Amino acid sequence: MAKTLIVAEIQKGALRESTLELVTLARKLGGEVVSLVIGSGVGGVAEDLAKKGGGKVLLADDGSLANYNLDGWTRAIGKAVESEKPELILISNTPIGWDIAGALAARLDCGIVSDVIRIEPDGGELVFVRRMFNAKFDARLRVSGTPRIATVQPGAAEAYTGSDSGSVAKLDGVGGDVRTKFVEIRVAPAGGHDLTKAEIIVSGGRGLQKPENFDAVLKPLVEALGAQMGASRPVVDAGWLPHEYQVGSSGQIVSPKLYVAVGISGAIQHLVGMKSSNFIIAINKDADAPIFEVADVGIVGDLFEIVPALVGAVKAAKGS
Amino acid sequence: MKILVCLKQVPHKDARLELAPDGKWISDANIKFEINDYDNYALEEALRAKDKDPATEVVVVTVGPDRVQQSLRTALGMGADRAVQVWDDGLAGADSLTIAKTVAAVAKAEKADLVLMGLMSDDTNYSLTGPMLAALLGVPHATGIVSAKVDGGQVEVERELEGGALEVVKLPLPCLLTAQTGMNEVRYASLKGIMQAKKKPLDKKSLADVGLSAGAVAPKTKIEKIYTPPKGAGAEILSGSKDEVAQKFVGKVKELGLL
Ligand SMILES: Cc1cc2nc3c(=O)[nH]c(=O)nc-3n(C[C@@H](O)[C@H](O)[C@H](O)COP(=O)(O)OP(=O)(O)OC[C@H]3O[C@@H](n4cnc5c(N)ncnc54)[C@H](O)[C@@H]3O)c2cc1C
Ligand SMILES: Cc1cc2nc3c(=O)[nH]c(=O)nc-3n(C[C@H](O)[C@H](O)[C@H](O)COP(=O)(O)OP(=O)(O)OC[C@H]3O[C@@H](n4cnc5c(N)ncnc54)[C@H](O)[C@@H]3O)c2cc1C
Repeated sequence: MAKTLIVAEIQKGALRESTLELVTLARKLGGEVVSLVIGSGVGGVAEDLAKKGGGKVLLADDGSLANYNLDGWTRAIGKAVESEKPELILISNTPIGWDIAGALAARLDCGIVSDVIRIEPDGGELVFVRRMFNAKFDARLRVSGTPRIATVQPGAAEAYTGSDSGSVAKLDGVGGDVRTKFVEIRVAPAGGHDLTKAEIIVSGGRGLQKPENFDAVLKPLVEALGAQMGASRPVVDAGWLPHEYQVGSSGQIVSPKLYVAVGISGAIQHLVGMKSSNFIIAINKDADAPIFEVADVGIVGDLFEIVPALVGAVKAAKGS
Repeated sequence: MKILVCLKQVPHKDARLELAPDGKWISDANIKFEINDYDNYALEEALRAKDKDPATEVVVVTVGPDRVQQSLRTALGMGADRAVQVWDDGLAGADSLTIAKTVAAVAKAEKADLVLMGLMSDDTNYSLTGPMLAALLGVPHATGIVSAKVDGGQVEVERELEGGALEVVKLPLPCLLTAQTGMNEVRYASLKGIMQAKKKPLDKKSLADVGLSAGAVAPKTKIEKIYTPPKGAGAEILSGSKDEVAQKFVGKVKELGLL
């Protein structure tokens, strides 16, 4: 592999962990690593990345780049691609990543694979591995021509921990018009249903079929276990439960002692929210559901039969 | 105002998916298809704009083989005015950029004020087509939006970030938005709507009709193979009758010291 360009991300003023994961991937491929830091007053972050294995770090620093915006970022990445001519561009699959990556690929008229979990060198070529069909299948993809772009799922690699003496170079001409005006970041008010401190969470997914079943089927198990109730996104989208019940990348990140997933398939965005639970039990009628890959214990069967049986057994155990 | 809504037809959520013999895709024999869930929210948003201002025209477009006409009819039944289907056997190995270039050819001819589509498709989960299409059209975009307010020549949207945070941005029209699920409450097609849909125009076009050749949209990204992920450690599956399973469940919870 000849040259990889990493698009860095900054979160709360510091390098985002996923950027250091990209460093690991790029360094594993061998060849030169060049990174790009975009923002306003972010020279310190660029220095930091240079020390942390980011190789030559390009700094796109301009007042117009203070908040993420499509035009400014595309311009900055475009400049970096022009001057560096990378063969591979790595971007994290985050809200910034999925906003920018496709637009960049269209401008460069190049191939792209999104949400990659692995990159395998194969002779002079690269094979990109990702999930598809909501994690029911894995896919291997190849891209013709250069540059090529891959967006990488956060957590796909370990963050790079080596140190290095890279350098920082300023990228010029990155200011300019921005069509999309940033207004503000709104953080949803913390609701009364805080799952981050719960010891036991019993979460229901689309498998519960209708809102009434959360009361009729799931709640008895929640109460028997002295747990808190959680939910997957479709449940919240459908208005069956308020947003503060949602576990996942766009909901709450939880780590209870026990997480019981009922009728939840195990899409990556849900797993992100609960996979650091100490112990996971999944109930699903589909033996191939991806949730069983992260669960410690699985029960394959119809939740409408299984859950009432669990409630009976838990109650009996408590009574004895 | 003219709104273009991009729809993709995907395997039904409950379909049992099997690999095609060549291992490059799933077999589409004997499975039901439906409109990609994210696209339902995009369509609903367009139809709400039309409810407010009946002069609004809603055009749905999809790239796909003839089975997609059923989804287009569903969209017409819900209230869209016209549908455009583009298909050509040369599109069979399409990647996202192929699809975006094909839709762009239609969108340029339509000159829509607003393009609405889904954040991602339920089959490939790529999330690429929207930003690609916007770049090809030279219009700004915002992805993963949960609300949109059109006000004069601009639209204010809330974009979903992680952990429940939202980013509020303003874009000038024309622009493109990709919908996140939960954006609104999606309507059903009424019986009357379904009857009317039969009379609404559905134009089927070839690549040549939209001014493209297979070469111009040749894919650069190719699926080499798809396969069932190798089973890792995985879960210990509890076996037995439901009462035996329940006893084992209780045993596990006790081991954890939680009962
Ligand atoms: C037999 C077969 C072979 C394939 N081979 C490949 C391959 O080699 N490489 C590859 O990358 N892909 C391949 N695909 C999948 C490919 O055709 C995708 O549909 C394509 O990449 C575009 O959609 P997306 O999944 O990227 O959409 P995403 O970017 O995930 O979808 C976002 C939104 O874009 C819009 N959209 C997506 N597709 C369409 C469409 N067709 N018409 C209108 N709007 C749309 C929808 O609004 C959707 O919500 C193959 C598919 C089939 C059936
Ligand atoms: C940017 C982004 C952010 C997202 N954020 C989140 C998030 O924070 N949280 C989240 O959860 N999702 C999130 N999602 C959505 C995610 O991709 C999935 O769509 C979602 O997690 C699926 O929810 P589910 O498992 O309940 O539904 P499905 O995937 O439909 O799964 C339902 C499961 O129930 C099983 N089932 C059905 N009937 C029964 C029965 N009778 N008995 C037993 N099992 C049964 C089925 O086998 C299936 O496995 C996000 C998506 C995107 C693109």
